[in-house]
Amino acid sequence: MKTRIFGPAVPGVAVLLALASGITAAATLDHVHLAVPSPIEAVNWYTEYLGCAPSNRQADAAACHGVEVVFSAAPTLGGTQGTGVNYIAFSVADLAARMSELEAVGVGGAGVRLQRFAGGSTFSDTAGPFRLAFIFDPWGTRIALVEDRDKLGFHHVHLSAADPAATMAWYRDVLGGVPDRLAGQVNGLRFDDAWLLVSGHEDGLPAPTEGRTLDHLGFSVADLDEAAPAMREQRVEFEAPPAVPDNGRSDAARAFIAGPDNVRVAVVEAGWAGVVRDEFLAAATPEPGEPYTVPRTPWGTPDLQGIWTGDAAHGIPLERPLDAAEIAALTPEEAAARRERGTLRSIWGYEREWRDTTLGFARDAPSTQVAMIVDPPDGRLPPLTPEGEALVAAAANADRGPPAGPEDLSSWVRCITRGLPGMMMPGVYNNGLQIVQSPGFVAIQKEMIHETRVIPTDGRPHLGPNLTQWLGDSRGRWDGDTLVVDVRNFNGKSSYRGSGANLTLTERYTRTGPDTLEYRFTVNDPTIWTTPWTGMFTFGRDDTQYELVEYACHEGNYGMTNILSGARAEERAQAAQQ
Amino acid sequence: MKASRYGALRASAAALALVCLVAGQAGAQAVDGAFPRAWDGHPDLNGIWQAIGTAHWDIQDHPASAGPSELGAIGAVPPGQGVVVGNEIPYQPWALEQKQRNFENRYTDDPEIRCYLPGVPRATYLPYPLQILQGTDKIMIVHGFAEANRTIHMNVENPEPAPIDSWMGRSHGHWEGDTLVVEAAGFNGLAWFDRAGNFASDALRVTERYTPVTPDALMYEATIEDPNVFTRPWTMRMPLYRRLEDNVQVLEFKCVEFSESLLYDHLRRGAAE
Repeated sequence: MKTRIFGPAVPGVAVLLALASGITAAATLDHVHLAVPSPIEAVNWYTEYLGCAPSNRQADAAACHGVEVVFSAAPTLGGTQGTGVNYIAFSVADLAARMSELEAVGVGGAGVRLQRFAGGSTFSDTAGPFRLAFIFDPWGTRIALVEDRDKLGFHHVHLSAADPAATMAWYRDVLGGVPDRLAGQVNGLRFDDAWLLVSGHEDGLPAPTEGRTLDHLGFSVADLDEAAPAMREQRVEFEAPPAVPDNGRSDAARAFIAGPDNVRVAVVEAGWAGVVRDEFLAAATPEPGEPYTVPRTPWGTPDLQGIWTGDAAHGIPLERPLDAAEIAALTPEEAAARRERGTLRSIWGYEREWRDTTLGFARDAPSTQVAMIVDPPDGRLPPLTPEGEALVAAAANADRGPPAGPEDLSSWVRCITRGLPGMMMPGVYNNGLQIVQSPGFVAIQKEMIHETRVIPTDGRPHLGPNLTQWLGDSRGRWDGDTLVVDVRNFNGKSSYRGSGANLTLTERYTRTGPDTLEYRFTVNDPTIWTTPWTGMFTFGRDDTQYELVEYACHEGNYGMTNILSGARAEERAQAAQQ
Repeated sequence: MKASRYGALRASAAALALVCLVAGQAGAQAVDGAFPRAWDGHPDLNGIWQAIGTAHWDIQDHPASAGPSELGAIGAVPPGQGVVVGNEIPYQPWALEQKQRNFENRYTDDPEIRCYLPGVPRATYLPYPLQILQGTDKIMIVHGFAEANRTIHMNVENPEPAPIDSWMGRSHGHWEGDTLVVEAAGFNGLAWFDRAGNFASDALRVTERYTPVTPDALMYEATIEDPNVFTRPWTMRMPLYRRLEDNVQVLEFKCVEFSESLLYDHLRRGAAE
């Protein structure tokens, strides 16, 4: 991203220029534009927590009392932190009550992250003209909540500027903001009902907004053809000249200009109604009717080698939801929303930058598959045996108190294994799967936890029954284009949905296209279930962008230390109360 | 074991030429054409291999010594001849002191006792078998201990540096005659070389050479460069032997559960405050 130098540095000069041209745009703040994984989920969040409503002007937007928050589905390089937009602000009537509501929501699910003030309070009475609090949305947008009863809803945009006076002058001269004092105290610009405030950026020039969660600010003018020449006279840099976008929902034009402090600014004209959502990437499925020839290794077996990921499959539930009995497949929008819900459940508090640059699935169209289970045909686990029911009941009644030691935690938390078929399951991150073959062997390396299965395909018998392992003992054979793997000799110490040491697992790996590897797994544990059951999902190939990184899980397992020391602290606190 | 089903005939003439190419090089002598050949004519390293010796205790010459007394003779350190060429490790003075401290604290600080990833070259001569899978553009080395594994990216021109430091580093390989040469770097500097506390920093670069010397043995060399720790590069050398049992396989040794008492006993319920 190139660095832009903005003039005029002296506000007086700008005033002269504006007067000389005789025209300022007199714009209003139309929208702020956020890039998020699922616009559906984002509209829901802004509706639920900030009092906005789904826009009736354009889909994928929330109307927030005069200003819209517009969403597009895109990966980003991170949240708003460090950019020229410090935060956007919303006003509520009773901030203390709202903050206790939001605190109760917590960061779980599509939750709310609070920033606390010194002393632990969720709001401050002394930080500005209004009672003030800060939260983040799940996608890294910093949001202030103020208690300004005269102006509820969207309240202001707070910029972070290398030269606040120059930035203030630019928005005044180019976009016609009216200098005023918010609450009689804070110098700012008014754009109709919404305010623009500016403070100094602590670290030189802010990072560009483009490509971050808050991609740009959108201002509206009556007629862009009239406004543009005046902007050009003020040496405004047009990143995109005024034009009606091909995917525009109306005949209104839009331009992009480079604002100060690397803030991207859209200028739209009256009648603007947004753009039609970018097409979702087509799911990676082979063209129907085109037969696919599975490539062969030099020694003649089907060639499964390469790097695959379960990213697209993340979010597919094992069982078909009861209310989805008649649904053949989700729409791409529903699939994106489902995966986003799954992601938020797992890693809400993670930074957006980490999330979108690390999670391959920001690039991958989510699967529209309704559920993994294909047999039984209703997509539900088969009935439990009496022994299975007893075991499930015992597990449900097990002590849920603080863990006494590592053994009370799952083998995943302990960084031992996710078991089988658990280790094959897509998760929220580190979904890489690398397959290397040699004559007579297939190695499957999973990034999460780092586990490698070496599967002989040379017809050798299984290990003796007394030699059990966490991941059992795998034996493979080629059935046409399919690698069939029979796994047994489990030690029973890690379970998948109740499976135990009697589990036998049959896996079928089939390349169904150049970039798709179908994985079918049949779970047979007659101790637990009355019949075997089979699930299926598809790995996507990602040789060009993905390299498995070393998931040194146990070596960095600070979580274990923290969980156990937290458990001991909890017990000490309980003992002290008694 | 895999006989040379794939290309032994077409490779035999090439093999003779390759032998001539490497014959003059220091270290291992290449094997004759009897070594199995892979589909592309290179030596077929597929198989399960293991170092036999005491390098995992101490890569230098060492006499027998006592271990934890409660383990009696089975905890004692067997004597062994070192695998360091010339037996001397050219430590900088501070690093030699660090090595001594490591040795004194080995029963708590050795990454192996904690079931941490063993690093390179230590993984190669741990007392467990390793399996080499020679794929078409990658070679994978699978270890049982701590689920360690290495992917050797073959024939990558001008490879980029590793994106992040790691215990096992990133490895790039190519063939020089019948020798597989692997350059490994991008280490995090936390791994040790042995149970005696020999170590390197995150500036470590390891150049490994795997050369067939008989149909069932490879000569393994690892040249160690680390200007932060040593005054010059140095080399260790030892054979890796093919495991000949019909049914041999690398069994999982998920040692995390065996390290948990060492690491977490002080955090258990009822532990002394």
